[in-house]
Amino acid sequence: MDPRRNMATNPEKSAEKPVVPDVKLVRRAQRGDMVSFEELLLRHRDKIYARAFSMMRNEEEAVDLSQEAWVKGWQRLKQFQGDSSFVTWMTRIVINLCLDQLRKQKRQRAESIELMEEESGGVERQMPTVTINPTAGLERKELRARIDKALGQLSYEHRTVLILHEFEDLEYKEIAKRMECSIGTVMSRLFYARRKMANLMAGYKREEMS
Amino acid sequence: MNQEFELKLQAWVDGELPKREVSRLATEIERNPDAQALLAELKMTRGFLAGNEPEVVLPESREFYWSKIQREIERLERTPVEEPSIPWYLAVRRLLAPLSGLALVAFLSVLSINLFYQPDDPTRQLVETENLSEHVGSISYRSQSENMFVVYLYAKESESGDAEVDPEGAPVNDLFLQ
Repeated sequence: MDPRRNMATNPEKSAEKPVVPDVKLVRRAQRGDMVSFEELLLRHRDKIYARAFSMMRNEEEAVDLSQEAWVKGWQRLKQFQGDSSFVTWMTRIVINLCLDQLRKQKRQRAESIELMEEESGGVERQMPTVTINPTAGLERKELRARIDKALGQLSYEHRTVLILHEFEDLEYKEIAKRMECSIGTVMSRLFYARRKMANLMAGYKREEMS
Repeated sequence: MNQEFELKLQAWVDGELPKREVSRLATEIERNPDAQALLAELKMTRGFLAGNEPEVVLPESREFYWSKIQREIERLERTPVEEPSIPWYLAVRRLLAPLSGLALVAFLSVLSINLFYQPDDPTRQLVETENLSEHVGSISYRSQSENMFVVYLYAKESESGDAEVDPEGAPVNDLFLQ
């Protein structure tokens, strides 16, 4: 396969043409047409980058990992059977790369006592139940900004399980497989991640009120 | 509330609680105000997260972002897949493996010939049996595969060369089939 084939065409120039569905672009790319692959990247680059960033919370790492995901996507494109959408398939690739990277980082750093407490819910168990909705009256943009801020304050285990469950709609079993842990651990992490999230959002609301 | 109960509450919210446990859990929630509050919090958190994933935009231009990917793809496709270097003893072993296989086949062939080949095949042989009669000779033939045993009798020639005949005048040559 020659990656330089058809590279002379700029996909942005084809904006006036009718939109070609992803499925067709994928088929062309599977035959070695890199312009079609570039068009797919143009459409979905933000989503793939966003997933990497939400997990890594580091711009540089997220850019690198999302680029690695696109390279892997090209290499494995022939394996793509179309069971899911192309963007879902690509998202799974970037999630797996992020999980590998996070595991490497975890092995490199010493486990802190704080983290161990977090795993077992040491802090979250003591948190009061949030009874008033801390997001009431917020505009969507502001709500998303606060969610982003709160996600950044979670441990990577809690953040990841929350992202995979709430934003990727994966079941406990599937998350356990991807995170290489038991279903019980997934349930526990998800529970404490939610509890912490609710309390962080309540805290932002209190800050706003005061 | 213990942890197990809390996780069951959550599984119910997520639709992952086994159906057989739902009614029992619902009864317990009705009796427990803390469980009701926790359930409300879990539902609320799930609710405000749904559809509100933070939007992030790639901080690089498309051209720059793509050019790095393109270069990497080109580099990987240019790089020939290198054969892993094999130590000399493994290379020798790779060469000798088929030869040793051939040797084994040859050895087994010779062995089987020696074991199973018998020049005097008892299933198919022509034997002259000992016969004490002075006048009648016999030749037997046995075929195991055809389930047949044949004895051929013939009149012994007298020293004078005349053929013997039985007293009743019948020819001596008889065929007995078994």
